[in-house]
Amino acid sequence: MSDEKPLAGKQKQIAISEFFEKNKHFLGFDSLQRSIITAVKEAVDNSLDACEEERILPDIRVEINRLKDDRIELISQDNGPGIPRGVIEHVFGKFLLGSRFHAIRQTRGQQGIGITGVVMYSQLTTGSKTTVISKVEGESSAVRVDLGIDTRKNKAIKSGESRDVWIDEVTGEEIKHGLKIRTEMKAKYQRGKQSVYQYLRMTSIVNPHATISLTVKDRDGSVIEEGHWLRTTDRLPRVVEEIKPHPHGIHLGTLQRMLREAEERKMTSFLRHNFSGVSMRAAREILEKAGLEESRQPRRIKAGEAQAVLDSFQKVKLLNPPTDCLSPIEDLLIKKGLSKAIDSRFASTVTRETRVTQGNPFQVEVGLVFGGDLASDSPIEILRFTNRVPLMYQQGGCLLTKAVESVDWKRYGLDQPGGRGLPKGPAAVLIHLASTNVQFTSEAKEAVAANEEVLGEIRRALMEVGKGLRNHLKKSSQRKKAQEKFELINVILPEISQKTSQILGREEPDLAPIITRIMNAVFCEEDLGWDTTRKLATCDITVFNYTARARAYTILAKWPESETVAMVDNPLGGRKETHGLWAWRLDTLDPGSSAVISFTVSGLNKGDWPDMEIFFRGNGDIIGATKIDENLLDEMRNKEALDAAAEEVRSKEDPVIENLAERAEEVFRVPNDEGVIDMGSLTPDQGVDE
Amino acid sequence: MSISREKSKDEVIQALHNVASEMHDKMSKGNPPTMTLPVRSKSNIGFDQRLGVYKYGKKRTVRDATNLGSAKQLLRSLHVTEFIEEMINSGKSSTLREMYYISEGWGNGKFHSQNESNNLAEDLEIVTKCLREDFRLRPEEDGARIIGNVTFEERNRRGDWMRINCRDDVGDSGYGVPYNVESEKLRLIDEDIDFVMAIETGGMFDRLIENGFDEEARCALVHLKGQPARSTRRIMRRMSDEWKKPIVVFADCDPWSFRIFASIAYGAIKTAHISEYLASKGAIYLGITADDILAYDLPSDDLSKQDLGALQAELSDPRFSTGWWQQQIELMQELGKKAEQQSLAKYGLDFVTDTYLPEKLAHPDVGLAY
Repeated sequence: MSDEKPLAGKQKQIAISEFFEKNKHFLGFDSLQRSIITAVKEAVDNSLDACEEERILPDIRVEINRLKDDRIELISQDNGPGIPRGVIEHVFGKFLLGSRFHAIRQTRGQQGIGITGVVMYSQLTTGSKTTVISKVEGESSAVRVDLGIDTRKNKAIKSGESRDVWIDEVTGEEIKHGLKIRTEMKAKYQRGKQSVYQYLRMTSIVNPHATISLTVKDRDGSVIEEGHWLRTTDRLPRVVEEIKPHPHGIHLGTLQRMLREAEERKMTSFLRHNFSGVSMRAAREILEKAGLEESRQPRRIKAGEAQAVLDSFQKVKLLNPPTDCLSPIEDLLIKKGLSKAIDSRFASTVTRETRVTQGNPFQVEVGLVFGGDLASDSPIEILRFTNRVPLMYQQGGCLLTKAVESVDWKRYGLDQPGGRGLPKGPAAVLIHLASTNVQFTSEAKEAVAANEEVLGEIRRALMEVGKGLRNHLKKSSQRKKAQEKFELINVILPEISQKTSQILGREEPDLAPIITRIMNAVFCEEDLGWDTTRKLATCDITVFNYTARARAYTILAKWPESETVAMVDNPLGGRKETHGLWAWRLDTLDPGSSAVISFTVSGLNKGDWPDMEIFFRGNGDIIGATKIDENLLDEMRNKEALDAAAEEVRSKEDPVIENLAERAEEVFRVPNDEGVIDMGSLTPDQGVDE
Repeated sequence: MSISREKSKDEVIQALHNVASEMHDKMSKGNPPTMTLPVRSKSNIGFDQRLGVYKYGKKRTVRDATNLGSAKQLLRSLHVTEFIEEMINSGKSSTLREMYYISEGWGNGKFHSQNESNNLAEDLEIVTKCLREDFRLRPEEDGARIIGNVTFEERNRRGDWMRINCRDDVGDSGYGVPYNVESEKLRLIDEDIDFVMAIETGGMFDRLIENGFDEEARCALVHLKGQPARSTRRIMRRMSDEWKKPIVVFADCDPWSFRIFASIAYGAIKTAHISEYLASKGAIYLGITADDILAYDLPSDDLSKQDLGALQAELSDPRFSTGWWQQQIELMQELGKKAEQQSLAKYGLDFVTDTYLPEKLAHPDVGLAY
């Protein structure tokens, strides 16, 4: 890794300060405005990582105080596990460059040089020490220590160490565990798109389990900026695990080294034990294609043979590397995160399946919010994240931005002048790329580098949320039209009738036949609500027949069924059509009559279910509902049955599971490689995008 | 009070009831209510040989209650009908603006802009063949100013007739034309002029007065204040009819000024239902013409996109179908230029009265040399 070069080998004796000075542009300390953002970022990332590892819900407080002469005091405090006294100087006094990159695992810390950079920057620009207060649970007092850096030995210098009970200034209570850093540095606080505020706002969006607060004070003590982002979920991100390399990301040198050091006696076991995604079947196939005996001893494999193995890695269908090493935010939490930071009318989110590029698993998540307070005449806001860390610079050169620009947004209802580039409209797009190894365009790690597979995944995710937006817009416009018609026949027409009769002194005409003529359609309206006392989501679906003929329909509603979400009241009964889709057969609707389907759902919070889709089966259109596509429905039922079977098998821990999963993968590989059949594609007009 | 023959209260109310009746009849037969009115666009105006002005043709449009917008229009018409009936019965009148504010109390029938209420009043005029005066509705638009040796009698607020000579009894701003210039309010008494000159801009009107042009050329000067109000066009029409004086129009050279002229000479598209009362047939466009820009080498501005669009539309406007207008419009498109009246000041303040106007008036097509 090129980061380490200046430190490696013989060059180690170069003064660390010189290294810092030379590389400050990619360490994030190249300008006064940026330095404070970088410092906050290092502190907050460490806090979030530490809390995650120890399964603590993070409470993070950041305080910034402007001092005289471009000096800023930064105080950052968390409720994390604290750092044991003995290792404080290691954490704060050494550049950790390199060491943490070897673990194949998703961490935030991948993207910085660590808190040492902050200590160093503070010392170089102000000559002052950084104070650390750390409290580890179970110890009777907290340790307080001032840290500086011996720039020649690349080592921390401790001074003024003391121990005391640590009382929280805000709550007045004793702190059981946590870490506080106070440092002074030359920096400038600025507001706007690239600011500490924006960084923490974005961080809070992708860390909905964290509560973060920010207070910025001027020299006179007055507050100039404040932010408070409360946690919206108590669910911590999944613990990420280290994984073995995947064959697709291996270079010849690494493979040879692994072969040399192998303890296995047979190639088949070598392949299965040292790589992820290699089944017995795959191992045999690899060796067969490489022309090697299964029983060959790994240590005896020659260079040419290793090359053959490497080549056949590409020819054999392999399982994806395990996804436990990635920690996606997940649909619902993205929605919650976005909704706490942005006021909008509509949110659509998608978490894609984990994919692999060059042996590194990656996963793409996209969220789109629309309407509300968002400005409608400027380009949409793009919120970029890698491994839950916001990217704030070089938006234009970033793969995530390019993916947004490459989508034809017009078809999803956003204005895109010239048919390319960033769309305009009251929308914001969040893109999160989680990977064990995010490739950046430069050491500064501000923009994701080009990669066809990642680009393709992001595009597919964007198109999926785009589809959601299109449906939403179509629905809102249909709803608006329907509401207008209702106002027309229920309010305006009776008034016209009344007025003409009054003016002319005649009898009022019968309006029923006129209403049928004006409407001449079946309408469907849904009303999603919340029963505060019973803590239930409520749903009423009303179907009006404003045609001259009697009609009969089956109404199907999509609902957020899951292990924890269930239907409570449902007087009309009906039946489960498939997972998350319920059907009611309605009695014949005479002209001018209406029917109501009501049901309630438990296991949701208020606002979790803002939007629903309604389908119908029967003749003639219904305004406000979509005709169901029976073919797609069948496919969904099949998939559900197979999933259930697989689940059953899995619970018995039967070894066939691997095969079954592979089979399932083959069966459900759809032509456009979308991987999953989602409910959104139930509508018949959908087809394949792009 | 009306322009032609006075309509009785009952006739007006009956005409309005017919509108309500069309709606009620439709509904009684199980159909959505409708209101039928002429298409009000240039595609539906034609030259009326008998009247010598442009009138609406036979194209009709039906406003029906199948969408919310038109249904609300119908409801508004009914509210307006009721309101007018009340005013007629109680002997009151109101301005269009007052009606707009009164509509606040009409619930779903309220207007959202004054334009909406003005347009609906015009719709009702057209459908009922009544005038807004019959409806007791007044505009608050102010009329033009007149200077010249003409004498009117105007009935003042006390009901007395007041004699005003528009040269001797007025200040520099001239005689202000009231909104009602019909015979019960205004009489044309005496004149000593050869023609009436309508001027688009205030700056040019003041220039001609300062230069004493009204006396020198023996004319009455009328300041149009942009697109002339109904009363301005009506008083010119009366001077043309009752005094047999030719009307000449002096305006900027741009597509919008051409439309001002057309509304004076042939009738405006919006008020084509009453063109025969408002248009002064035979009015002459004196300038500034596209030819003038070249002939006098006048300072000019580029035509904007909107200007070009307006010019293009005028090419197919029946009011500009004569060879002379077609040639002027095409020349203007070719030049891509427009010029203001005041651009004549390039040659000095007196150039317009000493040279330009005498030359234009002496042109054989105009024949008003002095």
